[in-house]
Amino acid sequence: MKAAAVEIRGVHHGFGDKPVLDDVNLRIGRGQFLALVGPSGCGKSTLLRAIVGTHLPRRGEIRLFPPGADAAGLLVTGPGRDRGIVYQQYALFPFLTALENVAIGLMLDETSIPFRFFRFLRWRALRRRHLEMAVEMLARVKLADALHLYPHEMSGGMRQRVALAQALIMKPEILLMDEPFGALDEATREELQQHLISLRSENLLALDESRTPPHTLIIVTHELNEAIYVGDRVVGLSQHWDWRSEGHQSFPGATVTYDKATPHSSAKTDRNFGAFAMARDEIRRVVFEPQAPPGRNEHVTYWKTRASPETTDEPT
Amino acid sequence: MIRHPIPRPAALALAVASILVLIISYTVLSERQHRLNPGDTTLPTWSQLREGVGVAVHKNQRTGERWLVEDAKASLGRLFLGLLWGVAGALILGLLMGCFSPAEAFLQPPFSLLAQIPPTAVLAVFFVLAGTGDNMYVAMIAFGVMPTLAMTVHMAVKEFPEELQFKAYTLGASHAEVILAIIFHQILPRLLDAFRLAIGPAMVYLIAAEMVVGDVGFGYRIRLQSKLLNMSVVYPYLACLAAFGFAMDGALRQAQRRFCPWYQGSRG
Repeated sequence: MKAAAVEIRGVHHGFGDKPVLDDVNLRIGRGQFLALVGPSGCGKSTLLRAIVGTHLPRRGEIRLFPPGADAAGLLVTGPGRDRGIVYQQYALFPFLTALENVAIGLMLDETSIPFRFFRFLRWRALRRRHLEMAVEMLARVKLADALHLYPHEMSGGMRQRVALAQALIMKPEILLMDEPFGALDEATREELQQHLISLRSENLLALDESRTPPHTLIIVTHELNEAIYVGDRVVGLSQHWDWRSEGHQSFPGATVTYDKATPHSSAKTDRNFGAFAMARDEIRRVVFEPQAPPGRNEHVTYWKTRASPETTDEPT
Repeated sequence: MIRHPIPRPAALALAVASILVLIISYTVLSERQHRLNPGDTTLPTWSQLREGVGVAVHKNQRTGERWLVEDAKASLGRLFLGLLWGVAGALILGLLMGCFSPAEAFLQPPFSLLAQIPPTAVLAVFFVLAGTGDNMYVAMIAFGVMPTLAMTVHMAVKEFPEELQFKAYTLGASHAEVILAIIFHQILPRLLDAFRLAIGPAMVYLIAAEMVVGDVGFGYRIRLQSKLLNMSVVYPYLACLAAFGFAMDGALRQAQRRFCPWYQGSRG
């Protein structure tokens, strides 16, 4: 049975008196590409930040299940090296070239300040290896001829590609992306989406060879097409749900109102445009339209149609 | 035309012209003054100035020193040391204030109060605390430039985008690495800029203090020779100060270009 990578349990959050998230529960399997969509202000970035660990939820917990961790998993208490992040803005360190931006993760992770200072020769040799790995990584995102450009000398698309390489070189347990392509033009966005798709093919290849799929992705986006295209599972977070039927007197916060596999996730065939359009319409109706708000679990069926990944206590 | 650029040769010609205007008007003023009073020393002629320089670099028989050399040694030594301590202190305090909220809450009130007192006004305090030796000048310059510099560092750290900080943690950085390997790099060009701007005030503090209590140094010599109306010595000294300021400014610009090549382009 597939292992879970992340589990979000009963997460509530709010800013001041304003509730944002109400009882969000999600279980994300290893190798999944999960697209998180929702109307603006629904708290999807808040949820992502909770997973990154930079803004912890008020109630509830997020647990990670890296290989080798015990059944209880690891509680997220802060940002950590096992989760990579690609932001929409401030993607790169402005004082480093593309190459250095990609290599810095290896430096920060594998060495310490005293090591770099006192074992200078060892560090120099190691640095050379890091740079070689970074060159290779940049070649994979098609930036082999932009190694020595500073971020301000690059276009937005190039910067996001460097940011992707920067995160991928760390081989994170989970890659988190917060509206990564929101500020890019259509052509560049499509190219980068294509790159994410190629990561998914690596996953499929690994599954074929019965290895652990190397990439797990959570991508926050407001673009439905992007969500269905890149993700193999779409989770809709929405303020528009039928909270009155659960006995709430006032709005308790957004929750998951939609959770289904995308049409292409099971079949390895190419995009099926009919199913694609139907899924898009359904998500738009359930998640984005305030009329006829759905009940909490009405369209949350992802794990009902497949075996849930293993963690300690099964959901009730 | 407002904000309209001109070709480079024209800019160069104007720069040369401005210097020529200065030289010519000085010459004319000086000639006129000497026609009225041939013994005048307030606006020395060029030949008098040459003599003044001669006096300044003449080897003193008794001490075996040349004025200009001993004054430069004393003043620049004090200035460099003072700036060094000032920048080092400001960097440490600014980073502390920017990175740690308790340090910010603790240090900000005294800093914003002390920054309001002109260092030259508390000369007597430094006099009492550090004596009349070089330490006094160094302390005065250091404490004089520190508040502004520390505030600059503090602001720069505050402006550091938190996304980059979070990203550094996801890349495996320790707290020390976030401060020393990430934030420090980001604020370095701002620090160098602030350093450049601090040289002017530092010179003011130094010259003022030397004028009051010095027995060697630029300020001391300028005050003494001004009293004697030996402007033929005073003007070359002023020229030396200008040249020094110019050189420091250029050196720091170069350093910024060399160590922070990313900075100029990434602004705006």
